[in-house]
Amino acid sequence: MTIAPPAADERVAARSSFRKLLGRPEIGALIGAIVLFVFFSLVADAFLRASSFSTVLYSSASMGIMAVSVSLLMIGGEFDLSAGVMVTSSALIASMFSYELTLNVWVGVVVSLVVTLALGFLNGLLYVRTGLPSFIVTLGTFFMLAGLNLGFTKLITHNVATPSIEDMDGFSQARAVFARDFTIGGVQVNISVLWWIVFVAIATWLLLRTRSGNWIFAVGGSAASARAVGVPVTRTKIALFMGVSFTAWFYGMHILFNFKSVQSGEGVGNEFFYIICAVVGGCLLTGGYGSAIGAAIGAFIWGMTSNGIVYAEWNPDWFKFFLGAMLLAATVVNLVVRRRAEAGK
Amino acid sequence: MKRKVIAAALAGLLALSACSSSGGKKADEQATKALNGSGGPRLKIAMVTHSAQGDAFWDIVQKGAQSASAKDNVQFLYAADPDGGKQAQLVQSYIDQHVDGLIVTLAKPDALKDVVAKAVAAKIPVVTINSGAEESAKFGALAHFGQDENIAGQAAGEQLNKAGIKKAVCLIHEQGNVGLEARCAGAKKTFSGQMQNLFVQGANMPQVKSAVTAKLQADKGIDGILALNAQIALTAVDAAKGSGSKAKVATFDMNKDLVTAIKDGRIQFAVDQQPYLQGYEAVDELWLYKRNGDILGGGQPVLTGPAIVDKSNADAVAPYADRGTR
Amino acid sequence: MSTTEEAPLVRLEGVGKRYGNIIALRDIDLEVGASEITCVLGDNGAGKSTLIKIVAGLHRHDEGVFRVEGEKVSFGSPREALERGIATVYQDLAVVPLMPVWRNFFLGSEKRTGAGPFKRLDIPFMRSTAKRELLDMGIDLRDVDQPIGTLSGGERQCVAIARAVYFGAKVLILDEPTAALGVKQAGVVLRYIAQARERGLGVIFISHNPHHAYPVGDRFLLLKRGRTLGYHTKEDISLAELTAEMAGGAELEELAHELESAGVQGAPELREDARDLGVSD
Repeated sequence: MTIAPPAADERVAARSSFRKLLGRPEIGALIGAIVLFVFFSLVADAFLRASSFSTVLYSSASMGIMAVSVSLLMIGGEFDLSAGVMVTSSALIASMFSYELTLNVWVGVVVSLVVTLALGFLNGLLYVRTGLPSFIVTLGTFFMLAGLNLGFTKLITHNVATPSIEDMDGFSQARAVFARDFTIGGVQVNISVLWWIVFVAIATWLLLRTRSGNWIFAVGGSAASARAVGVPVTRTKIALFMGVSFTAWFYGMHILFNFKSVQSGEGVGNEFFYIICAVVGGCLLTGGYGSAIGAAIGAFIWGMTSNGIVYAEWNPDWFKFFLGAMLLAATVVNLVVRRRAEAGK
Repeated sequence: MKRKVIAAALAGLLALSACSSSGGKKADEQATKALNGSGGPRLKIAMVTHSAQGDAFWDIVQKGAQSASAKDNVQFLYAADPDGGKQAQLVQSYIDQHVDGLIVTLAKPDALKDVVAKAVAAKIPVVTINSGAEESAKFGALAHFGQDENIAGQAAGEQLNKAGIKKAVCLIHEQGNVGLEARCAGAKKTFSGQMQNLFVQGANMPQVKSAVTAKLQADKGIDGILALNAQIALTAVDAAKGSGSKAKVATFDMNKDLVTAIKDGRIQFAVDQQPYLQGYEAVDELWLYKRNGDILGGGQPVLTGPAIVDKSNADAVAPYADRGTR
Repeated sequence: MSTTEEAPLVRLEGVGKRYGNIIALRDIDLEVGASEITCVLGDNGAGKSTLIKIVAGLHRHDEGVFRVEGEKVSFGSPREALERGIATVYQDLAVVPLMPVWRNFFLGSEKRTGAGPFKRLDIPFMRSTAKRELLDMGIDLRDVDQPIGTLSGGERQCVAIARAVYFGAKVLILDEPTAALGVKQAGVVLRYIAQARERGLGVIFISHNPHHAYPVGDRFLLLKRGRTLGYHTKEDISLAELTAEMAGGAELEELAHELESAGVQGAPELREDARDLGVSD
């Protein structure tokens, strides 16, 4: 067992509610986020404005929507390296299907949903059937999808980017659902921020309040034990891969309807940012532990860091260094807090 | 039995052809025919660039090369890798295949120096395109087709002056890319206002959008944005609109949507380096060299840009951008 | 055959099992009634695990008769065994260390409330039930929210037992529950096993340690190389005899001979030990 047996009387002293709070997976990330927020508020004048906050939130949502499902998958003990390019695949499918056949864009949206869910199912099925680590399986599908994205796009459009679908039927409705900007109290907010919050809420409810959530923790914590007590491990894991593909579809639709055309080479490398958000938010790389709220805070840290550097008007040459340093700092804070919480139990 | 007869007949033919004299009318006719592109052995020309997968710019370069190949009856091969060492390996593999000509980009000159020398030693003519104007002749290449990024940047700077912009940001979408840095540096040189660089993550459009928005929010005085590729420029237009900034957007490189944006005034101008020309000219030059010993440029780089596309000529360019060759 | 009140919960008569041409188990009799603990003792490879697998439903037996509450059965899956009230707690335990005690307690059989898409876990019920059931077994956890990994090995074993009891087990199969535990913790687990008996369950307790088995057991089945070495009720046999029989008294004698002839010092003491145990004359 992974955790050392406690006190000699085999009884665990009750934790105070403060200790209990410190034992939550997302607490380290929360403290890291507060520190970063205060830091950027001090160094960048523009950072504290409401409009800036909206920009930071949009940037966070663009990572956060995927980080939600990726964190669930990681709690379930698996990785999906194809998550980044799957977003692009999904947007390409919707765009090309509608454009080439001159159909209402909603047809493309639905086709893309079906195909993308099938991709997630395939990832899950390959993992379950081969028994290979999901890292390897999805690395394979990652390269395959990247190739298919480019190959099909060039084959169909004779270009590496899809043509704009802005003037097609249903575009404005679809944009209203996936990518509209609206104004709250004089501040422009993108609807993807709201969707992000909705997804985080659903995922949190799912994890903590439903049987499926119990199963997700169980298959990630110990798949063999879960199987022994009757948890459908295979079904749960496949569902988690499909969850990732669902958000990939959703985020792909956001990109398509926000930017009208899609470049086939986009999305590569983002899968690691999603995983980073989840890990900063307290997900264990080994599975069985973590939270969707944590992943959301991880995405928020990402958004604050990447835009805070701009608000602070630092030399962009150092951008990646700052990004890395801050992510590392957030993770270390996370680790220290969790260790202290565990030691104090 | 039948086989023996055929073999004997073949041997006879071979003997006859060995006897025939060199030169004469037949050879002249062959040469003329070859120059016209229809006859002669099919040439095999390979292009190796530093492009990442799915890059719109290199797609147009390839299209140019392909149409020149079709015209000249050339078999065109293409490979690319952004990593200098891997690009060199690809060049080496084409040397091993004994291609008739090589087209190479010298974005990482040091990594490619040795392998280009090998190609020259193996008597494979080399033409460089896009990047490496300075090294091209030194490495033994026949010619270089490209745009001097600094000169192109200077042209952009002057255009920004004309548009009356006072404070601009230059969006670098690939950190550490020498060509992009040179464009911004060139623009800075001729631009009379104040200009700073902003790094955006090119592979992630929402991040590009939020970084540009953040910059415009942080500094309300910015009235100009210089993007270095078309998709980034269109996203920057969105960002400017979203943040309520009046900043005007200009860009390098083109695509179909960008031409439309220039027509309706969302984008001021585009600095086009005519990638199609780079691909086309490179193949054509190699073909001319093989057929007629021609060398373009006289040892100096041949510039394919900058060509400025703005409202005045956008209509003329539009059909070409539409089919993805401008 | 009709089910009678008196019929034992589980009864094996002449049961045997072979894997291809390897005979894993031959002619085994075993019985466990309500409020009884039957211990199965033997060394590694004696056939203990084959025996459990038959009772737990992982394998079908090839020979003999297997009755549950008087009725002839042959289980094709652990689920069938579970439906008949036979629950197995394996040595490696089916618990997920990072999950809270109550979630582990109900894992795979979660209690839910609500309807349709809003069907959710009945957390207050599960939490209080887990706490109460564990208390009934004599495990007083102040906090059922702590990860089960923070419990000691003995406590985890007990949670697994309490879970099986709660979900309606009539017969508990415990596979070496004390094997990896220290003396004190093993004592705790033995106490819970005795408690399960008091609650009316039949227990099949697999062990290789007669010192753990004897104090709690009512019947003792000794296995060796797939055969019955002895089958005793508690009145028939003392701990010393049980130990000696298990250690293979006759073989001990033989070993002493061999060692003696090889001139190994201490062989006479070994012989004396064997005599003391009452297996040698």
